[in-house]
Amino acid sequence: MSDSPLRLPPKPKPSPWTVGLSLGMVVFTVVCARTVGFSFSGLVEDLGRTNPVAQGLVDISWGEMFSERSRRAFLETLQMAVIGTTAGAVVSLPIALWSTEVGNPYLIPRVLLRSFNNVVRAIPDLLWAGLFVLGVGIGALPGVLALFFFSMAVIVKLTADTLDGIDMGPIEAAKASGASHTQMLRTAVVPQILPAYSSYVLYDFELNLRASAVLGLVGAGGIGQRIDFFRGRGDWSKLWGLVLMFFLVVVVVEWLSVKIRRRLV
Amino acid sequence: MSSISTGAPVQLPSKPRDTFKLVVTTAFVVLFGWSAISVDLKWSRLLDAPADMYRLFKAMYSDIPWEELDRLAGLMWDSIAMAWVGTIMAAIFAVPLSFLAAENLVGRPIAWVTRQVFNVLRAVPEVILALLFVPMFGLTPMAGVLAIAVGSIGSLGKLFYEIIENIDSGPIEATDAVGAGRLQRLRWGVIPQVAPELTSFLLYRFEINIRASSVLGIVGAGGIGGVLADTVRFKEYGVAGLALIVVIVGTIIVDTISGAIRRRIVAGRTIDIGEAQMYAVDTGGLS
Amino acid sequence: MIRFDKASVTYPGGVVAMKDLDLEIGDGEFVVIVGLSGAGKSTLIRAINGLVPLTSGGLDVNGHDVPNLSAKGRRQLRAEVGMIFQGFNLVDRTTVLNNVLMGRLPRVPLWRTLIGKYPDEDIQIAAKALDRVEILDRAYVRATNLSGGQRQRVGIARALAQEPKIVLADEPVASLDPPTSHVVMKYLQQISRDLGITTIVNLHFLDLATAYADRIIGLRNGELVFDGPGSEADEHTFRDIYGRSLTADDTMAKQAAL
Repeated sequence: MSDSPLRLPPKPKPSPWTVGLSLGMVVFTVVCARTVGFSFSGLVEDLGRTNPVAQGLVDISWGEMFSERSRRAFLETLQMAVIGTTAGAVVSLPIALWSTEVGNPYLIPRVLLRSFNNVVRAIPDLLWAGLFVLGVGIGALPGVLALFFFSMAVIVKLTADTLDGIDMGPIEAAKASGASHTQMLRTAVVPQILPAYSSYVLYDFELNLRASAVLGLVGAGGIGQRIDFFRGRGDWSKLWGLVLMFFLVVVVVEWLSVKIRRRLV
Repeated sequence: MSSISTGAPVQLPSKPRDTFKLVVTTAFVVLFGWSAISVDLKWSRLLDAPADMYRLFKAMYSDIPWEELDRLAGLMWDSIAMAWVGTIMAAIFAVPLSFLAAENLVGRPIAWVTRQVFNVLRAVPEVILALLFVPMFGLTPMAGVLAIAVGSIGSLGKLFYEIIENIDSGPIEATDAVGAGRLQRLRWGVIPQVAPELTSFLLYRFEINIRASSVLGIVGAGGIGGVLADTVRFKEYGVAGLALIVVIVGTIIVDTISGAIRRRIVAGRTIDIGEAQMYAVDTGGLS
Repeated sequence: MIRFDKASVTYPGGVVAMKDLDLEIGDGEFVVIVGLSGAGKSTLIRAINGLVPLTSGGLDVNGHDVPNLSAKGRRQLRAEVGMIFQGFNLVDRTTVLNNVLMGRLPRVPLWRTLIGKYPDEDIQIAAKALDRVEILDRAYVRATNLSGGQRQRVGIARALAQEPKIVLADEPVASLDPPTSHVVMKYLQQISRDLGITTIVNLHFLDLATAYADRIIGLRNGELVFDGPGSEADEHTFRDIYGRSLTADDTMAKQAAL
């Protein structure tokens, strides 16, 4: 080792971008915290306060899920999720294809379709439900319609992202063999994305099952309507019993769905 | 000249059976058939739906109350702030919890239990959580913030523990070799590496949470959702229509900005690695 | 019969890939095109089935006036011209048979394509094409589970299933090892002879070119610099085509020895 001090290479300075972003996020957090009236001491105090709702969580009533009405509402939730997901999945594939360059060579229709997708994606599930309850009245129908649009938002987005990264080779091969555009999409593009697409549909089913638990809060059918009923009566122990049982089911369905999705991809 | 199609026919091998596909397809068909038939729904009503929706849109947009715009935009801002504070709070809670879910830190049983907690938290929608927090915090945005925060702990915690579990492998062996403890390793070996991904995921979660926070008001947890519930109750279709536009525009604006930052972060990362490699080559001559 | 008449291709950005090309290729010929990468080999091949449009000049392929074809006419032309690719261009996720059936698309009604139920005659043609390249037993295997050589044989079968009059092969062996390359070249040669299919192959390796070509066409900077029988091409010819002395990279045998 030599005695002269070693010169380290200059320490890389964080880029102005990193500094700016970090600073921006801190400022944004402070502004937002003030907007919502965030106070740490208030938080601790409020969390510790006893209230009937939290008390219901302690005296939870597990049996509610098995009452005739709740069971029917649960089945309705399942049916709504299945129908909404299926209908959404069917229209999502062509829409995803037409909103990417691979599937739609025309710029203006593509841009219009993408803007439409962005609007659909910006509306949350409960808002869709609220809209359809206003439009077509209460029941399972607005629920199914809401889940249909919500599914479209999820599946189209994920599928379109996958389409942007597919192998272009088979597309050239299909064109070179004289296939029409639709034939090319069916034989060279769809087989490439089908496993991913099926996996997104299952994922969307999980989301829909979860969402359909709350659609009933605005009158769009399913188990949410029972939850809303107990909420109105202030019967919190039954409400939490129903909620926890339902989400145990959701966790099981999710576990099953993840198993299938792993095999698909 | 002969052609490929002339000559004796050839025998294809027998088609293999794909049991997995068959089972999944059958299960789906049965499930769908049962749902479509037994659901309590008059399918004929579906035909009237377009006309119904058209009437609704006419009621909402024939006379837009623009004077309400300021108030609605302010409420949308509340929703955005709720989503951000909730996301940050979730991240703060998720870090210690994720230690309890990492198998290489606490062992299998505790990790398993913590993960199930994450799974359940991920499964419960924010609106349900808001039902719990509204009585504690009253009809304020804080109830919404807590609902968002608790709802996001599951997915952020999952991301964090996956990162922690990967500590033992790969390029961190160097810090291991100098005898660094696990937490030191986390601080110096892992966090600098994954910081861009973490930030990017946080922003992504924020985009998701905007959608949740804009409806939380329906159960009284603050933000623009409350207007939607009220206008529906009092049949103020004009206000509801404008609120819908505000939600859509606000969400798309946040999506666009957040998305641009995320893309920039991921793009910037590759440059950072390039610089690091440059320095690594330079220092190589010193030893 | 393929006839280029003062054909030129200039890509957007100004790269000239074909300059005033006059060339005639008769029915049933086995032609190998050689040249450095960027000399315009791929452009020439892709001009024939209209994947790359000419910027000026004329091109007649079996009576199709290529530069002036409608979209439908272009599909008809492509249906008669099979194509084989360097990267195989198979759909990995689906079966070998489905990949080969892609060659039948122009003859199959759209609804049948959509539901994936092809007529028996078309399946039989695909099976015969697979039999030709001796890979029929793998018909229901996913393309991703095949070796490189097997994948290229599926590529050949896909082209054959079109019942083509012309087969274009763009660097068909560039991704393969030497023994497999010879197998693939032999299949191409045999098919051309047995079925009278005009075959045009881009090759990088000179020894492969001289071993299999009836006729060699040399390109440099988009211009025709050599046109003659494979037997006439020697080291001098290639030096002229390449505009530089030859290296080990230029012959497969020597490169394999490296």
